[in-house]
Amino acid sequence: MTRALEDAVREAGGRVRAALAARFRDLDLAEEAFAEACLAALPAWAEQGPPRDPAAWLYTAACRRALDLMRRAKVRAGHRPDPPPPGPTPEDLLLEADQPIPDERLRLIFVCCHPAVQPEARAALTVKMVCGLSTAEIASAFLTSEPTLAQRLVRAKRKIADAGVPFEVPGPEAWPERMDAVLSTLEIAYAKAHEDAAGVGAHAEFAGEVLRLSALLAELAPEDGEALAFAALVRFAEARRPARLDDTGAMLPLTEQDPAQWDARLIAEGEALLKQAAGKGRPGPRALQAAIHAAHCSRVRTGVTPWADILALYDALLLRRADAVVRLNRAVALAEVAGAPAALAEIEALDGVEGWLPFQAARAHLLAALARREEADAAFERALALNPAPAERLYLQRRREALASG
Amino acid sequence: MQYALLIYEDERVYENESAYKAIVDQHRAFAGQLAAAGKIRGGAELRSVSTATTIRQSGQGAPRSVHDGPFAETREQLGGFYLIEAEDLDEAIAWAKKLPLWAAGCVEVRPVGEG
Repeated sequence: MTRALEDAVREAGGRVRAALAARFRDLDLAEEAFAEACLAALPAWAEQGPPRDPAAWLYTAACRRALDLMRRAKVRAGHRPDPPPPGPTPEDLLLEADQPIPDERLRLIFVCCHPAVQPEARAALTVKMVCGLSTAEIASAFLTSEPTLAQRLVRAKRKIADAGVPFEVPGPEAWPERMDAVLSTLEIAYAKAHEDAAGVGAHAEFAGEVLRLSALLAELAPEDGEALAFAALVRFAEARRPARLDDTGAMLPLTEQDPAQWDARLIAEGEALLKQAAGKGRPGPRALQAAIHAAHCSRVRTGVTPWADILALYDALLLRRADAVVRLNRAVALAEVAGAPAALAEIEALDGVEGWLPFQAARAHLLAALARREEADAAFERALALNPAPAERLYLQRRREALASG
Repeated sequence: MQYALLIYEDERVYENESAYKAIVDQHRAFAGQLAAAGKIRGGAELRSVSTATTIRQSGQGAPRSVHDGPFAETREQLGGFYLIEAEDLDEAIAWAKKLPLWAAGCVEVRPVGEG
């Protein structure tokens, strides 16, 4: 791909695909037409240079391809073809390239996150359609095999088409129910992006999209406390990205990061959103999580992390979401407030977490803090066997070495 | 599009006659709402699952056997259905959410084939 095309696909691909899906009410058709438009762009742009507005060029070309594909499908189904349109010349496309592309991404998100779509498929389908990641990239981010994921996506798209899932943003009465599915989907997508501290490749794209989409949701639903809180939460977490690696590329845990490297603009945005979310009823789980992030970020002003406040917020969160993720994170705060033995007892009471990297890593750190060297070493070994991202691998290896020499 | 709303309940709750009478009234009202909106295309209440007979074929071309009872022994059984006209799945789901159920139960929403 030429550079111009790559840039256009990355910057405008989601918007173009969403507009196509909304116009033709068919996800497969939208993907296929967009892919063919990109193929057509290669020779056309090489010959004449990239168009003034590459996104509009791609949209127009894809619309024509979609109409053509629909016509061919009709012919295959035995209908008489409509007369073919005159083929577009590159000049036509340049002339037409001024039509604005409607922003239908939100509509597309609501389609992909419809409760009638299998929950495991929602996040993957959303990232595929809206962020344009390949099946291989999504499969690696979600730790699934590519054929399994591909099959799940096919089934989800077929369900949407055959069951008649509407291509609409639901009315306000349906928002509370539907918003939760949308936010959960974005949460899963963002968790994948956040896991990798280095934020390279597919994950970096995820993070950028989730920042943008969460802002869009907050703007469209200014009365929905959870939508506002989620947008805040993503901003606090992304604000810390510049500080998440040390000079050697190893991950730096939150407590060892230099707050001066945090992005002050994102923190300010997060704080404003969280303030707006307060007073929209009883705080939901995302409001509590955002408040925890805000408390961590407050270190930039005060120089200390308010662990007791953070623990109290986790206690409140535990009442809404008593899952292993919350309990593990709460234990990390508990270690700061009540010491490592109490925290270790908490996490060792968790069930079925043997193969879960955050559990093995947290356990290794707590054992190391208690100077139980042999057990800590074994726990680090187990954590390292669970395939951490390169930055975290380096960090865990260093900690393990420090244990041996200390 | 047309959708079938398939109703699954434990029919034993209707052994209580007043419960049965009450649910029948609720269904009349629901069917009335569908009719007033011009959405109803058909529907029926099915007799007790104890009256069910299942004819089974074990493979393509295999002889068919006749059995007493429903196709699967589960606590909740198909007890009736509506055939409705709806703009899309969301409208069908909205009707399914209004459909009367006495106690625990499900409404399965299935688009009807257009072949």
